[in-house]
Formats: sequence, C-alpha cells, structure tokens
Amino acid sequence: MAAVIESVGSAVERLTRLVDAPDRYNHTPAELRAAQVAAMNERFQDRVGRIKVLAHRAQEAGISQVRSLEDVVPLLLPHTAYKSYPESFLMEERWDRLGKWLDTIATYRVPPQDRTRIRDVDDWIAKLQQSGHYVSCSSGTTGKSAMLVASKANAWGSGVKLARDRRMFGLAPVATVPRNEATGEAYTAVLQDPNSRRFHYPVPPITVGSLTQMVVLRKRMAEGTATPNELADFERISAERAKAVEDAVGITAQAIIEARRDKLHITGLWAGLYNVAKAVRDLGYAAKDFNPENSIYVGGGLKRARLPDNYREFVYETFNIQPERNYQNYSMQELHSGMPRCQQGNRYHIPPWVVPLLLDKSGDALLPTGAGEYEGRAAFFDLSVDGRWGGVISGDRISIDFRPCACGAKGASVRDNIVRYADLEGDDKIGCAGTVDAYVRGVS
Amino acid sequence: MNAVPSGGQRVVAAETVVSAPFFLRGELVEGSDATHRSRDLGVTFATPKLDLSRAVHPRTEVPPLLNVPLAEIIEFLVETGRRMTAPNNPFIRDCIDRMSSTHILPRAVLEGQVQGAAAYLDQRLLNAVVEQNFPDPRALDQWIPKQDYTGRKSFVRAFAPRLVHVLPGNSPGVAVKSIAQGALVKAINLFKMSSSDPFTTVAILRTMADIDPRHPIVRSMSAVYWRGGDDKVEQVLYRPQYFDKIVAWGGGDAINNVVKYLGPGFQLVSFDPKTSISMVGRQAFDTTESLDRAAELASADVMVLNQEACVASRFVYVEGSQADADRFSEKLQQRIAARAAASGDVRPLDMELREQVNTLMMLDDEYRVYGKTDGKGLVIRSDEPVDFHPINKIANVVRVDSLDDAMKYVNVATQTVGFYPFERMPDYRDRLASGGAQRIVRLGEAGPSTIGNPHDAMYPLHRFVHWMAHEDGTVTS
Repeated sequence: MAAVIESVGSAVERLTRLVDAPDRYNHTPAELRAAQVAAMNERFQDRVGRIKVLAHRAQEAGISQVRSLEDVVPLLLPHTAYKSYPESFLMEERWDRLGKWLDTIATYRVPPQDRTRIRDVDDWIAKLQQSGHYVSCSSGTTGKSAMLVASKANAWGSGVKLARDRRMFGLAPVATVPRNEATGEAYTAVLQDPNSRRFHYPVPPITVGSLTQMVVLRKRMAEGTATPNELADFERISAERAKAVEDAVGITAQAIIEARRDKLHITGLWAGLYNVAKAVRDLGYAAKDFNPENSIYVGGGLKRARLPDNYREFVYETFNIQPERNYQNYSMQELHSGMPRCQQGNRYHIPPWVVPLLLDKSGDALLPTGAGEYEGRAAFFDLSVDGRWGGVISGDRISIDFRPCACGAKGASVRDNIVRYADLEGDDKIGCAGTVDAYVRGVS
Repeated sequence: MNAVPSGGQRVVAAETVVSAPFFLRGELVEGSDATHRSRDLGVTFATPKLDLSRAVHPRTEVPPLLNVPLAEIIEFLVETGRRMTAPNNPFIRDCIDRMSSTHILPRAVLEGQVQGAAAYLDQRLLNAVVEQNFPDPRALDQWIPKQDYTGRKSFVRAFAPRLVHVLPGNSPGVAVKSIAQGALVKAINLFKMSSSDPFTTVAILRTMADIDPRHPIVRSMSAVYWRGGDDKVEQVLYRPQYFDKIVAWGGGDAINNVVKYLGPGFQLVSFDPKTSISMVGRQAFDTTESLDRAAELASADVMVLNQEACVASRFVYVEGSQADADRFSEKLQQRIAARAAASGDVRPLDMELREQVNTLMMLDDEYRVYGKTDGKGLVIRSDEPVDFHPINKIANVVRVDSLDDAMKYVNVATQTVGFYPFERMPDYRDRLASGGAQRIVRLGEAGPSTIGNPHDAMYPLHRFVHWMAHEDGTVTS
C-alpha cells in the first residue's frame, strides 16, 4: 500500500482518495508521514493567500513552507478561533460585520452582506448557504457558539456501506446545522429501510438562532439591560423546552418498544440513551425483547451528564446491542472526518487523511513521539476540510498509540479515555479580580 | 502532562513536590499525607492530613482573644510586621522560595508584595481601621452601656466571632490583611488557603508563633488547605455550630459552593470578584504634556500587581476622536510595556487570549492593536469593550464621544474607577454608584486606598463581629 501513497501527484488527493480504500486504516504512521507533510504543505501553499487568519499566523511565525510536523504547529488554530467573533456583532445584529469576521477564517471569499436584508442569525446562515458557505455551529457547553464554515466540496459522513434494512431511532435533540444535517442524510441513505420511517426525537430542533438567543440574553443580563419581563419570558420558554425534553423520554420509550421487532439503528448521546433505556426497563422490557442485530451510534462524550458507572453496558443490554454493531466515532465539529471505534481494542482508528499532532497542554509545542503510546493535547490536520483551514487544536486530552492496533490495523489509534482539559482543571484558585459573569445566574 | 496509564512510554519525569504545612490553633502540623495540584504552574504540593476537630474551637469555651485588650493585639500585630520584613526571617524566606515555584508572578514582585503587605501592620493604620469600622471601638474591649429614649438600659458588645476565611491566591497582601482583621475583631479564625498560595498565611502565623507561641492571638489562628468545593470537608465544617460567618473572596464556583451551606446562623460576608476601569476625559488631549501624564497615570493603574488584582484597570474609556484614542493607546502601550519590562514580567498570553487578540487584529477597521501578543504588554483600541477579560498586561481603550456614554459600561462588577481630569469626578460619582461601582479615585491612584475606607461597599469589620446585647431593665424616674 505504501506505493499508493508515495506515487506522484497531489498528496492531498492521494490521501483523501483513500476514503474508499478497504484497507485505509492499515498504513503505519511512518508510511504516511512523508505524504502527510507534503499534503499539509500543499494545503498551506494554496490557502496562505486565501485564509487571512492563516496568512497572519504564517507571517508571525515566519513560516513559508511546511517541511515537518513541527512546522505546522504554529499554523494550527485553536478550536476557540471559531468563536473569536465579538459578541456585539450578534447583539447588535451586525450581520455585515459577522460576515467580515467569517471572511477572515474562510477559504472562499464571503461576499459583503446587506444587514438590512437579514432577519436573524438563521437567515444570515441561510443567505450564506446561497453563496456556497455552509456555516455549522457548535452547541458549546457555555457561552458563544463556534461558527465553522465549510464549502460545497466537503463531503460529510464516513462512507459506511450498509444495506438499507434498519429503522433509525434518534434519541437526542439534534442541532440543525449543515454538518449534522449532511451526516444525518448520509446515514439515512445507507441505513434506513425505505419501508419504515425514521424516528425523530420529539423535541423542537436546536437552531443556531436559539443558541445565540441565549448568548445575547446573557450578555444583556451582564450589562444590566435585560428587564425582569424578558427574563420571565426566557424562563417560561426554558421550562417548556425542559418539559418537552422530559416528555420525549417517555414518548420515545413507547415508540421504541412498539418497534422492538424491527432491526433498529439507534443514535444519540449518552445521557439521552441512558434515560430512554431506563424508561424502557421501567416498563418491563430488556434485551430479550429487542432484535439481536440492533446497532447503535453514539456521538460525543458525556457532555457533563452524571450517569451511573455502568451506563454503557446498561444501554447496550437494554437494546440488545452486540459489540460488533456498536458504531462510535471520535470526532468534533471542527473536523469533517470521524475516527471510527475499533471493534476490538477500545480505540478509535485515525484515517490517513487526518494527521494527528500531539501537543503539550498549552498547545504550543509538538511532543516528541515514537513507536509507543503518548498522551497530550489533541490537534489534527484534517485534509478533507475545504472551506476553512484544516489544522485545529482541540480542547481534548487524548492518548495516541502509534503502534499497530490489537485488531491488526497498522495505523495510529486513539484510546477511548478522552477527556476535556476544561473538565480536568477544576482548581480552586480564586482571586479578587473577576468579571461580571460571576453575577449572572441561570442563563447558560 | 501525565504519563500514560499503561502500555506506552512515559513522557515526562516525575515532578518535584513542594511541602505545604498547616497551622492549627497555634501549632505547626507537618506531613505529606495528601498531594494537590496548583493550576497556575501545574505544580504539586503536599499537605498533612486535615484533622477537622482541631480546626474548630468549641463553643463552650470563650474565644481566647476576648479579654485581651485591643491595644495589646495591635502591638502584637505591629511586632509581627516588623519581623516579617526582617531579612533573617526564615519562615518568610522559605515561603517566597516555595511560592516562586507555584505563583504566576515573578519573584521580585512577590518579595515586594510581602514587604508591602507588612506595611498594613502599622499601629496608626490599624487604629484607623478600627475607628472607621466602629462608631465606638471600645465595644471590642468591653460591654458598652447604652440607654434608649424610653429609659431602657443595655450593654452592647462587638463580641468575638468565629470566622472561616476563604482566601484568594492572587495577592499575599490579602493574607496579612485577613489575619490582622481577624485579630482586631478578636475572632477565632480558620483560613482556607488557595492552591495558588498555600504558604504565605502559614509563614506569617509561624512568624507570630515565634514571638510568643502561647499568645491568645496565635491560639486563635488556623490555616489549612483543602480543595475548594470539597464536600467531605465543607459539609462538615460549614455549620453555625462551628462558625458564625464565612468570609469569602471570589465568585462563580468559589461562591456557589459556599452558598449552599448558608442558613440561619451561618452568614456570608463576600468580597466579590471585581473589574476596575479608567475614564479619561477630553482634557487629556489639550497638550502633549497632559496626554503623556494621562497615559502615565493610566498605565500605573493597569499595572497594579501586574494586573493580577481587582483594583488594576482593564478598560480605559477615552473621550475623544478615533485619532485621539489612537494617540493615547500608543503612549499607553509603551508605558505598560516599560512597566512590564522593569518588573521582569514576561508571562506569555495563553492560547485562547492570543487567538482573541489576533482576530481583532484582523478586523482592523474597527479594532486597532498596539503591541504584539507576545506577553510584553498590549493595548486594543475599539468602539466598545472587548468580550474577553483583559489580563496579563492588556488594556482595552474604548473610545467614546462623551464620558456620559461610558456610564452604561459600569456594572455590578465594577470596583474602582480611575478618573482624569480629577475635577470631573463629582459630576460622575452618583451615576457610577448607581451603576454598581464602589470606588472612584484620581487616575493613577487605584493602588493606594484611604485607610479604613469601606471595601466592597461595606465596613467589613463591623460585619464580622457577633453583635451581642445585654439588656438591663428600665431606669425608674
């Protein structure tokens, strides 16, 4: 396989083309290294004149060529770069300026926008889509949302080829953003049995607009300009939503019990999956009642939910999920590619077009690595990203093993002990200096 | 960075562990039963096991300081200050050695802070603090006879309270101040130290024990560490049976953890997290000299404790044109950088902050950045305050047409407002107070404060004590 990677032509294409190769996880890091560095340099040379924030980075760091993994480190953008826009742009509905900000991180020019013709942030996103800019928005646990721009050229999804013989059961509210919609459509196309209907979680979808509303109210609270009536309205809407989320568990449990003879593909986040599983058990159903060929896809980590230690087993056992039908990915909104979970080794396989870079905790320096397992701050260069810069520093602490996986695949893999640095910090340092954030209660 | 749990190569050598002893009601307790981490420099420190029973003084015994005259307490504190600054004090020297390995500020700044902190232990100053806090300071020493207009007689005492102090870690000065204030009100004090400074308080208490290990003031003091929010400790200690009041610095999680334990008999005296700002009027642009002066004064306020303290200015509202604000910003940046360089402060900006500033550099028709994101001092000029909290030698110059327009940026977290020119302060003080601010000073004077003045909109000592009444019938005429 090494021959494929070392052949002439664009390194980016050679690596991204492996998406259809059955042995794509079977290349050693050493085999891939030269092609990955060449591909990152190709991307860099092409993008440095287009992405303003990258040009600025390159100039500050004095980098004109990517010749090694070290060279790319000063060019990586922290995940927070995608939420570095001033909040006032949202507050004051200055869509034109938000567009100018987006232009500094986008590969393709964001056309000037007429703020008077844009209703709200959802409309801003819709209008951008017309010009080929697909903005996805992360539902950050606190504060502002990250705005990630992508192009039409970006193909989402993992290229899973499966028979369309399952009924898909979504057990989590989904943020309505292009990345998630595209992923959802891709999965539906390959999995959903055309003879049954996909079950959607019965709660209103989360839009970018609804996420930003919260940010705006929070900021107005901090400034002291939010009125008690506005807060009361907000509390009412929050309570309605909380009720919908609560009711959804029972409704979903009923629906999934009714569909228990079907071959199901269950998706969701751990907290929602656990709650539905518990409701199903409480109603007297368990593994024996469900189809032994059921499959599951779980996105993301715990997201700060507090669950019993055996939450995974509890969910698998409830829905009769066999280990080989447990599909999980390690990914993040900042990447386009997912790293699928290995069926054997409690690990996630890194595809060849995603270059793993293990950094120190502060994200400033590449850690020396060799043939072994190493721990550090996760950074990745996703060569499949087109609409923005592919190099990103995450907030995750991960362990990467650069040796072959227990399953036999020769590629590097990530251990499933991923934690967010933010969750690890939890220090008790306090100071007299602080911000008004400490004075805003209940809006987050 | 930790070593990986298994299988792989270890990446980082074992770290050094710094020892942090406790002080319990007069006695030093050493040990390394538990290790904790300090976030700022990622250093580990070891403490003895916390004996919860020794941290509490039974209510059946009156506080040891109750009948020690205030004058004697002040004398003891003054002697403590003298010994703190003595060059041969082993406790303080050792403390600075340890602290410079865990604290974010440079060693010279820390040494200066300990010296500066000791200055609080001055006889005139301590007397003034007591006099400003109590209409009749004799109430600390005795039962003061009173009589109301109906002829009803009573005695009132500012009775010695039982206090838990949750100390911040950003200024050793607070440790000295808290010890002094706790002593002045004759309290039984338990100091919960912060992970970024688990040393100073104990070093001062050891200095005091060195004067007289059996003195009631020494027996009234305990300093320990537990991880803030640790229910195993707080659930046990935070009860009215053990303490009357919790004196806590900081906000957010630090306070939220404390709040759940409040109830009848267990009250919170909070020193809130604050942001300080500056206001520079158009008069600064009258002459080159006035501009230089305003920039110099503003830089002094920005760089108080290298911008680690709440009194340090972060936002400078400048009344003028964009060109004026730019001229001011340039001069301010030069002076911040000069002060940073003089103190040897080269702490780099963290990744996220750097990214925020870099983004603003890119939006160059609305923001202008003076200096670089290299941690040597920078100024951002904008038309409204930036979203992030400027720290580590960063000032945000916000241009306004009139200082009246800057009043909307004053909020409940605003502490000190440095003002230029000084004559305009009376025009603004009511609006500043209404907005939530607590203190208005001449620009350049954020650091010093008038002795005995209110702090965080209260007279703290007055709130610390357990006001006790002894009613003694009515005078028959």
